[in-house]
Amino acid sequence: MMAGAPILEAQGLTKRYGGLIANNDVRMTLAPGEIRGLIGPNGAGKTTFVNLLTGLETPDAGSVRLDGTDITGLLPHRIAAQGLVRTFQVSRVFANLTVRENLLVPFLAAGSPGGVREGQDRAAELLDLSTLTPLADELAGVLSGGQRMLLQACAGFMIPAVRVYVLDEPFAGINPVVKDTLIALIQGENVGKGRAFLIVSHEMEIVRRLCPLVTVMIQGRVAAEGTLDEVARRPEVIAAYLGRAAA
Amino acid sequence: MSPRLTTGLGAFVDWRRVAVIAAVALPPFLVLPLLVGEFFVHILAIGAYYIVLAASWNMLAGFTGQFSLAQHGFAAVGAYGSGLLVYHLHTPLWVSIPAAVAMAAAGGLLLGLLVLRMRAIYLSIATWAFAETLRIFLGAAYDFTRGDLGLSVPSLYGHVRPIAYYYTFLGVAVLSLLLIHILLKSPVGYFMRAVRDDPMRAQSLAVDTTRVKLFAFVVSSAMAGLAGALYAHYVLTLTPSIVDFSEMARIIVMVVIGGMGSFVGPIIAAPAIYALNTWLAAWGEWSMVVFAAIVIIVMRAYPAGLSGLLAAAARLWRRRSKPSGTTAAV
Ligand SMILES: Nc1ncnc2c1ncn2[C@@H]1O[C@H](COP(=O)(O)OP(=O)(O)O)[C@@H](O)[C@H]1O
Ligand SMILES: [Mg+2]
Repeated sequence: MMAGAPILEAQGLTKRYGGLIANNDVRMTLAPGEIRGLIGPNGAGKTTFVNLLTGLETPDAGSVRLDGTDITGLLPHRIAAQGLVRTFQVSRVFANLTVRENLLVPFLAAGSPGGVREGQDRAAELLDLSTLTPLADELAGVLSGGQRMLLQACAGFMIPAVRVYVLDEPFAGINPVVKDTLIALIQGENVGKGRAFLIVSHEMEIVRRLCPLVTVMIQGRVAAEGTLDEVARRPEVIAAYLGRAAA
Repeated sequence: MSPRLTTGLGAFVDWRRVAVIAAVALPPFLVLPLLVGEFFVHILAIGAYYIVLAASWNMLAGFTGQFSLAQHGFAAVGAYGSGLLVYHLHTPLWVSIPAAVAMAAAGGLLLGLLVLRMRAIYLSIATWAFAETLRIFLGAAYDFTRGDLGLSVPSLYGHVRPIAYYYTFLGVAVLSLLLIHILLKSPVGYFMRAVRDDPMRAQSLAVDTTRVKLFAFVVSSAMAGLAGALYAHYVLTLTPSIVDFSEMARIIVMVVIGGMGSFVGPIIAAPAIYALNTWLAAWGEWSMVVFAAIVIIVMRAYPAGLSGLLAAAARLWRRRSKPSGTTAAV
């Protein structure tokens, strides 16, 4: 599995909010083309980790390397243009742009050499894959929650350089049909283009299907790593989830 | 790595449509001043001046989401910039006017940098404070600016017959609108709207939001500066009152009633509201109160403004004419 050099390498990432340590010495490496799951109870620090990776927050300590290049402390738009892209847990779209325009923005912003034509072709392809074609010229503000999540995910794929795509709870609160569409989209971009994924999710069935390996975060730390079934047997993981359920 | 903001300039412009609209809309405005009295031509000239202010502010506030309250301030930078150069250094107008535009652009960059990380209401307050500071400075530094006594500046053409100035302001308005249209129909225009809708999402999708905001500030300030400079050499006497907040309020009224973030609405609303303002001038400040009330009502009840009304009418029209398709062309 870990034959080549890692595509993403996070080392010792630490982030404090006042007295709270939201991320404590978090490390993770992703192999090129890997689909990794990131699980853990609410408040474990998963979103904070995503924010640190993508430059939305600056770490108090630690570093992030993308394909061997240190990207720690770069501005978010630079990190995205270099191919580390993310979605947000609460789906964010440009509500007063059309669905198609939502897709063109990242393509144009990433400075793609192919020009507008190529962007429009790529947008058309993703609209088809995500079944959003009939809504292409509607304002994104009219989309349902699930459609927004699809659009949000597609927008990231419009950046040609994407090598690592981090999806923060993409399956939360969307209907089964949309879930399947999104899963197919992820698998297509993974198999066809060798893009690596880090998927934050509580949907264990989907995680089992998509992710050969998962990382578990508990209280700001990496608590375990392995297949879903392996980590699910770990006592500290069980305790964290049960503790959560009992609370 | 990241491209220049002007990459792909005009990539989405439908040039045929632009040409058709220009060919239909321009001739009436070219002929109009020949048919009406001089006072009306004057009103039209100033109306065109306000088109530039309204449209450039709309690009910044309506399309980029930067609700600045300093647009009139940049018009004043242009007006006083050129006026003071001529007054103190006897600079020729063909030097002083471009220099004034450069000053306004630089001022826009500076103010843009200052408010870069501010959100909504704080940005509005800071830009308002900037304009107020400018107004107070223009009044207080009367040794330099002649303060409320007024700064006398020469006319653009050696006379002040309105028709010449009407064509000047019309030309500047048309060129400004063309530039704004091209920008909006370019990648940078897409970025502006993305920044307005959700700056954090834009950043995470590779948009350099800092550069986009600064670009919008610089371009819209430069346009206001040019309009202001030309205005100075038409009205011939400058006082700090051109930075009165009522000037900014007037621009807001024009854009909001026209439809914020709509391209066409404010273009129609600006001269119409200026004309109405003049007509209601007998009521003095009260006419502004009336307009303020209208703005509040429009913002509450119908934020799409005039342009929304036009779009709704167009939809209605299409629906009515569709079923009868082949029979009537009325
Ligand atoms: N901006 C912030 N300010 C203060 N506390 C924060 C901030 N962001 C996250 N936290 C806290 O950090 C902890 C981890 O949050 P988060 O990363 O969102 O967890 P998860 O995504 O795993 O649910 C939580 O206790 C949360 O309240
Ligand atoms: Mg989270």
